[in-house]
Amino acid sequence: MAVGLEHCLVVSISLFLLGVFIVMTQRNGIRVLMGIELILNAANLNLIAFNRFLPNTDVNGSIFAVFVIILAAAEAAVALAIVLAIYQQFSTVNLDEISSMKH
Amino acid sequence: MDALLHSLVFYILAFIVLGSAAYTAFSANLVRAAFSLLFTFFGLAGLYIYLGADFVGISQVIIYVGGILVLLLFGVMFTTNVSGQGTEKQTLQMKWGILFLVVLFLLLIPIAFITPWSVMPDAGSKALESSVSPIGVGLLTKYLLPFEIASLLLLIALIGAVVIARGEPKVRAEAAKEDTSAL
Amino acid sequence: MGNVESLSYFVPELILTVAILIVLFADMFGMERGGFDLPGGAALLGSILALISHVWLYSQPATMLFEGMIAHDMFSAFFRGFFLLCTVVVTLMTMYSMEVIHLKKGEFYSILLSICIGMCLVASAQNLIMIYLALELMSLGSYILAGFSRRIGRSEEASLKFVLYGGVSTGVMLFGLSLLYGLTGSTDFSAIQQVLISSEKGIDLTAFTIFLLILVGVGYKIAAVPFHFWAPDVYEGSPTPITAFLSVASKGTGFALLIRLFYSTLLTRSPAGGFWVEVGDIDIDWTFHLAVISALTMTIGNLGAISQNNLKRLLAYSGIAHAGYLLMGVCLLTDVGLQAVIFYLVVYLFTNLAAFLVVIIMVDTQDEEGMNGVRGLWARTPIVAVAMTICLFSLIGLPPTAGFVGKYYLFVALLQGKLYWLAIVGVLNTVVSLYYYARIVKAMFFEPTYTEEPIRVHPVYAGLLTALVVPVLYFGIFWDSLARYARYCASLITY
Repeated sequence: MAVGLEHCLVVSISLFLLGVFIVMTQRNGIRVLMGIELILNAANLNLIAFNRFLPNTDVNGSIFAVFVIILAAAEAAVALAIVLAIYQQFSTVNLDEISSMKH
Repeated sequence: MDALLHSLVFYILAFIVLGSAAYTAFSANLVRAAFSLLFTFFGLAGLYIYLGADFVGISQVIIYVGGILVLLLFGVMFTTNVSGQGTEKQTLQMKWGILFLVVLFLLLIPIAFITPWSVMPDAGSKALESSVSPIGVGLLTKYLLPFEIASLLLLIALIGAVVIARGEPKVRAEAAKEDTSAL
Repeated sequence: MGNVESLSYFVPELILTVAILIVLFADMFGMERGGFDLPGGAALLGSILALISHVWLYSQPATMLFEGMIAHDMFSAFFRGFFLLCTVVVTLMTMYSMEVIHLKKGEFYSILLSICIGMCLVASAQNLIMIYLALELMSLGSYILAGFSRRIGRSEEASLKFVLYGGVSTGVMLFGLSLLYGLTGSTDFSAIQQVLISSEKGIDLTAFTIFLLILVGVGYKIAAVPFHFWAPDVYEGSPTPITAFLSVASKGTGFALLIRLFYSTLLTRSPAGGFWVEVGDIDIDWTFHLAVISALTMTIGNLGAISQNNLKRLLAYSGIAHAGYLLMGVCLLTDVGLQAVIFYLVVYLFTNLAAFLVVIIMVDTQDEEGMNGVRGLWARTPIVAVAMTICLFSLIGLPPTAGFVGKYYLFVALLQGKLYWLAIVGVLNTVVSLYYYARIVKAMFFEPTYTEEPIRVHPVYAGLLTALVVPVLYFGIFWDSLARYARYCASLITY
């Protein structure tokens, strides 16, 4: 069976859901970041797959994916800086244990 | 035979990607989860190249594997003990999470099959050329504005990350002083 | 229009970019304690110059810029003015605020200005790549700024929650955008709309999924239920000038994004004029889905506000409720609804910035953001108490303030759109909100204060407060010019 668009979409949807699953169940800040990376990668796989299988000849999907990778790097850098700052303050990166504000 | 080999490459890559991502999701050990992401990112780079996006595949290896993953590992190493054990508590949410995962999967999967995507009839035989030069041309013509904005964004991320991560003792002392004087 | 010719339309953003560099250089040359805030002065000058050049560019005809990346139309011009005005006010607030660490102010202003550029681009984007990039530029900046408070633990907590959940929401939205690209094979809004108009049957499910995924990103930005949970913590933990900026400009960006993306891809302007309809064969009741979110958002926002004692937290919940009110106008998919939204956004800008300015004055003078700070305010500083009362009346929607006129337009639009149940929910919510806003007014005028010592308000703050409160009263009485302006701004570029 030749590989088609559907196969790629099944992979990307599964990857997306694994990312969402991590975000929903894990309370560790770094884990959540890993989940975000999976979600972004799932979107990238979508973009590349569509670029490959749709009839147009441009490379818009690839360009979109390149921008997403750039943004992911910037976001990861900022998020990890914040995580480290949090660790210095609270000695934990667990989202449930960090609460200095009254609710 | 050739087509079979083609499909086999895809299935192996897809298996690597999903298997390692699932390990990341379900592993209790943070360090192992982070290392498992390595295989996910490499597998995805393989998939991108398989799908004809060579430039994105290489960027994936350089930026994701070489940059983001290393950052994540730094984060893991700084915030846990090296074995990564015993730092996580398994939450009861896990059960509900899996249920939710299955429900969403059943809801989203039909999209891949029902939607009439305007797929090319013989996409498999689409000539695969290097995408580097069209991407370069695209970035400097049609996508010039986003390209410039991306540079601004990287500048901001750089400044921001440095400002946040720099544990400035002077500022902290000053803030502490102000806090006590306000009381 | 090509890249080079477009630059003449891009002058405000260019001025802001130059200002960012000047601020960074000014920061290197001395920020000694107590001296004049040189980077702040540069940022203020830059944003005011950008605002002037924006006004000067205003009357240019609508056109596409930068090879179709962004559009210059009345809608984007309105939001550019909105964001620039916001930036000017917030820069002024920061310059005299004690809450932002003094040594970090140079970085603060440069990031603030780049957020402003990102916001302007969101409101004018015509391409999926552009809108995603601009959105990330503004989000990334806001994550960083939320951590600039001198209250150490709290600020970083706000920042962490903001960045993690924000990253998830934009990631989910990106997945939706990638599906939209796949459905249409293009990243340009105009092409997407054309493809969808002539699409075959059977894309309902996909279109609806895309809509939901995009709504996660938008809902996070405007703090709509069920993506509102970050708002109270982040609003409380951030330095107050940034809280003000998030509650007004960030919310405005969310609405600009929703209207831009939704109205120009999944909807198309009806040939009859005056309203939008779903494209092609898609048969989904968008109005109903958005209306449900609107009703939930305002109800949960108002109920959450009732028990709050911290003013920043209370204003956060009030902001959630106002996102609900604004969604009432968006969900109608009519010109009248869009005009009401724009009118209300202008009113909300002045009212909310003024309310937060009062909180800033409270925090700076007595380090108190709870109810204790405003107790007996009338005896200590009558002018601030009166200004706050006007703001609260406007937030409730009582005459003779602009809030009343804004709500009036929203409800008229709802009745014209025959969405009676939502109008009833809106009215009930307004009644609920009366309770907690009135509680503050009561505390200011009738409750005893722990000290009779008068509060000395910084003259800049006094001037700024006056400048923000006067329009609230003015538009409450002479609303005609603003209403005409809103009608003028509600026109998006059409293909």
